Amino acid sequence: MKSLRLPAALAALVMVASACSGEGGEGGGSEGYPRNETLYTTGTAWGPPTNWNPIMEGNYAVGTVGLVYEPLFLFDPNENEYTPWLAESDEWPDENTHVITLREGVEWTDGEPLVAEDVVTTLELGHFDIHYSNVWDYLESAEATGEREVTLTFSEPRPQEWMNWVSARAIVPDHIWADKDESKVTDDPNQDPVGTGAYVYENHADDRMVWKRNDDWWGTEALGLEMKPTYIVDIVNASNDVTMNMLNNHEIDLSNNFLPGIDQVINDDNNITSYYAGAPYMQSANTAWLIPNHEHPALGDPVFRSALAHAIDLEQIVTGPYTNLVEPADPSGLLPQWDDYIDHELVSEEGFSFDASEAVAILEEAGYLDEDGDGFVETPDGEEITLTLEVPSGWTDWMESANVIAGNAQEVGINVEPAFPEHDLLIENFRKAEFDLMINNDRGLSNTPWTYYDFIFQLPINEQQTTANYARYENEEAWDLTQQLAAVPADDVEGAAEITSDLQEIFLEDLPIIPLWYNGMWSQASNNVWTNWPSEASDTPDNFATMWNNMYQMGAIYTLAEIELAE
Amino acid sequence: MSNIPGAPGAADGASAPEAVGERKVSETLHFARRNPKLLIGSSIVLILLLTGLIGPLFVDHGPNEYVGPQSQPPSSEYWFGTTTFGQDIWAQFVHGLRSTFFTGALGGGIAFVVGTTIGFVAGYKGGIVDEILNMLTNVVLVLPGMVVLIVAVAYLDVRGLLVQALFIGLTSWPWAARAVRSQALSLATRDYVDLARLSGRRTWRIITSEVAPNMSSYLVMSFILLFGGAILIAAGLDFIGLGPAGGVSLGLMLENAVGWSALQLGMWWWFIPPGTGITVLVGSMYILNVGLDEVFNPKLREL
Amino acid sequence: MWRYMGRKIGIYGITFVVAVTINWMIPRFMPGDPVSSMLSRASISDPEALERMTAYYNDVFGLDTPLHQQYFSFWAGLFRGDLGISVWLYPEPVTDIILRAVPFTVGLLLPAIILSWIIGNRFGAFAARSKILDNTLLPIGYILTATPYMWIALLLAWALAVNGGFFPTAGGYSFALTPSFSWVFISNLLSHWFLPFLSMFVVALGGWAIGMRNMIIYELEADYSNYLQALGAPRRLIRRYAFRNAMLPQITGLAVQLGTLIAGALLTEIVFNYPGLGTLMLNSLNNRDFFLLQGIFLFVVIGVLIANFIIDIIYVLVDPRTRVQMTGGSS
Repeated sequence: MKSLRLPAALAALVMVASACSGEGGEGGGSEGYPRNETLYTTGTAWGPPTNWNPIMEGNYAVGTVGLVYEPLFLFDPNENEYTPWLAESDEWPDENTHVITLREGVEWTDGEPLVAEDVVTTLELGHFDIHYSNVWDYLESAEATGEREVTLTFSEPRPQEWMNWVSARAIVPDHIWADKDESKVTDDPNQDPVGTGAYVYENHADDRMVWKRNDDWWGTEALGLEMKPTYIVDIVNASNDVTMNMLNNHEIDLSNNFLPGIDQVINDDNNITSYYAGAPYMQSANTAWLIPNHEHPALGDPVFRSALAHAIDLEQIVTGPYTNLVEPADPSGLLPQWDDYIDHELVSEEGFSFDASEAVAILEEAGYLDEDGDGFVETPDGEEITLTLEVPSGWTDWMESANVIAGNAQEVGINVEPAFPEHDLLIENFRKAEFDLMINNDRGLSNTPWTYYDFIFQLPINEQQTTANYARYENEEAWDLTQQLAAVPADDVEGAAEITSDLQEIFLEDLPIIPLWYNGMWSQASNNVWTNWPSEASDTPDNFATMWNNMYQMGAIYTLAEIELAE
Repeated sequence: MSNIPGAPGAADGASAPEAVGERKVSETLHFARRNPKLLIGSSIVLILLLTGLIGPLFVDHGPNEYVGPQSQPPSSEYWFGTTTFGQDIWAQFVHGLRSTFFTGALGGGIAFVVGTTIGFVAGYKGGIVDEILNMLTNVVLVLPGMVVLIVAVAYLDVRGLLVQALFIGLTSWPWAARAVRSQALSLATRDYVDLARLSGRRTWRIITSEVAPNMSSYLVMSFILLFGGAILIAAGLDFIGLGPAGGVSLGLMLENAVGWSALQLGMWWWFIPPGTGITVLVGSMYILNVGLDEVFNPKLREL
Repeated sequence: MWRYMGRKIGIYGITFVVAVTINWMIPRFMPGDPVSSMLSRASISDPEALERMTAYYNDVFGLDTPLHQQYFSFWAGLFRGDLGISVWLYPEPVTDIILRAVPFTVGLLLPAIILSWIIGNRFGAFAARSKILDNTLLPIGYILTATPYMWIALLLAWALAVNGGFFPTAGGYSFALTPSFSWVFISNLLSHWFLPFLSMFVVALGGWAIGMRNMIIYELEADYSNYLQALGAPRRLIRRYAFRNAMLPQITGLAVQLGTLIAGALLTEIVFNYPGLGTLMLNSLNNRDFFLLQGIFLFVVIGVLIANFIIDIIYVLVDPRTRVQMTGGSS
């Protein structure tokens, strides 16, 4: 131990060793991506990128669908209309037939042209067990009736549901995917994705995904869209505080997750902005629902659910954990973007609002009384009611909100305790109906409120409920109406609104699930390098500034062309 | 898994304690009263203990209730300010101290009981018993305790203070067992122990009446080190989200402050108290320990 | 001496078997079914499809074979270097994921441990010399060693990265770079490495300094020191002997402290979002990826065993008693 030379040398050796061990360095990264050509984003990837397979929904690197693989149409939720994307035009010769014509001059990144067979193959993949296999419930055939013309024949017309597929699902190339067997399709990481999109795979590491602009992209010519960033570096989510640090230092340009206290940062730092300059700062993306398990004797009773709904002081949640970053949901639960579908008259008459004494009155009238004097009501039969409200561990905002809801419920005499199981455990439990109460927001903004009603009313109830109707609410009439809604032509808003009005009547009467607040489309941007982010101001764009899955298809892709380099 | 590298007795090389006599007690007290390390350390620990015990009695609302205005810096009404949600940080602090002491005492206590028992039996019995116990100790010692804890605690469905303390206790004893064993080994060969053995007394009796009293000072110090170590481990577990659900502790306060961006939003009153609380508490225990060492071990007094 | 090493290796062998068994056992009794967690993310609504896929994944993960068979195939897989497939990062093999993270953790731990040990010992020996130094350095040392790792990491991040802006706040290297053997990249790597390293170093430093200081004082009061002093040996010489003797327990202390140091590294990594095993462990926990958690646990245990073994060798080489035995034994 003569001097520190040995340890210093050792340390250097370790450094070199760790330097060599990363991903093989190729491309122009050795000097770094130039700051003014690169968009740094975070908030969407919850784990290292491991696959680029657009069929592995929920598993692929964020951006795989949207940046690399593209859908036939985009859906514009502001205008409530479909914008042709890979498709050039479409028509409905009759109720059961949809003809889609593809754009000319679109090429896959390997040089092959986009052809009708690509769409057919993409649909045919649905014969394997993948996330959109259910299209074949109502689709009879998909045929290439021309080089760039696809004819779809339906056994049962469900335009709303079908247009959801058309505007959300990405098309994959026939010449690569047609020969894959089932395990290849559902399991292959697809390391070298060949798409039609504006960006291509550049690089990845465990904490980042790098996309590079595709300078031959068809959209530049066809749509006049020029993607501004040469590189998009999507940083895998770190903890709130780490993200906040990076945003404060303007090391990232766009953050797409909930950052507590971001309102203070937006107010203090003029270079960090969100869609709205004041509360609620964010646009709404989905509804957070309080989901009761209808198999529970008390929660299966609409009167009890109504009392519970009246007991919750949403204002306290909105101002407390969320510091006004969210807004209370409409009693119908429908998103503000679906305002046309809300029957406001009905909602103002039948809707619930926070009123603790009303909640107590409802309970009393229905015979839910506290006979044993423990401060909590029992069922009319005199059985104790103890409910657990579960939210995933680590979802700090929801955990705090669950605490508030439990406190509110206890005030009116309903014994609710919060619990924070691991996310997967919670999923497993609620699928098997092993829960009392939980908060959930699995369905978000889409092209049609049908997705919400499908979520609420879907029948039949299976042993495991994996994507919808976690509450296990059984109402044949409501499910019939929901199916009718699926069959309404995509552009018939009034026709759809008539059905949704009926659905809302049932919904408000029974309250199968209780709408809480609108989760924000979390989006906070730094204006140091890139400006012209979407905002409420009239001179800025109005598309979504988000990298979330399925939002590119709702116009977020435009944002990449609309942002501008800061002076 | 103690946190004190090479603390007295942490390794095998420390000197064996001497027999305790009547006259030594008063002598010890004499030095104890004059040892600043002991006095300062113990008074800080005592003050914190009293705060944790009495403090909650004077707070009339729960530590997690929304009671006041949001994000307020310390004021005469809310001594330590409030959180983003308007929770009283002082209330959280005193409740947190209480549970921190609880975890430390119980976790450290369990480790102490397990460690000393194994150490004594191994050291005194020797032979095959020693071989087996020593091997067990070494195996547990080599296993990285925190990592085992993370895996084990993650496995639990319901997490509470009690379970947390129990698990910490069950993984952090080997260090103490090893130290006690080496002490017991040297004591076991002393004449008076041989005498006791010849007189046909039971092993357990000999350990409790002859061996243990002669290393009581050593045992007290081991307990304090285990206590401090348990607090640090618990804070670490709390910080990564494996703390007691719905409870309060200094580690959980730290986790919450960080999770809700207190550092970035300049809410120093939220993250300073819990971190300082843990550091000061454990640090004072260590200093108190050095003081004790100097008092019990006359050779160290002269410096 | 060979007997001593043999015993040690035996203990490490047993520890390894115990660790592997714990490792295999614990996750299997965890609540939550990895297969259904995998499927939850692939949103399939058709119950038949769900059933088929569950069967498929059960096969992949080997959960439907009898327990003892799972245990043996676990060992067999271990020797092939196969720790299974990650649920969270499906379909990547666990070993690959871990191997990517290991260099970062080792790069953080090794320098922090070695430097803090050497410098801490120096400080400690130095402090033991005078009452004034002792009274100032000692409390600082105790406060440092009592500081939770994540707390000092947070304070450093806050002071030097967020407010000071001297260092980056998170990550292993700049998000603008791809790993390459260039000066830009290595210097960037270093700047990201520095703060996590510093926080680990500082906490560990206090512990070693105190340990050394205490050891030296014990040694100086030992009979041989008094004897030497009585013989009129120079103080320097006595101190040198004391220092040498105090080194031995400090080396043992290194082995004892490894677990704590690793725990510290895990917590520090989490604060800085450093892409090592700690961050990976937290992620695998949050995603209930038990194959990954299992793999990390095993890697940490193997690392600790190797480190212990190295420390044993060093101990034998340094300890004059065993050294004598060695030369004596070979003749």
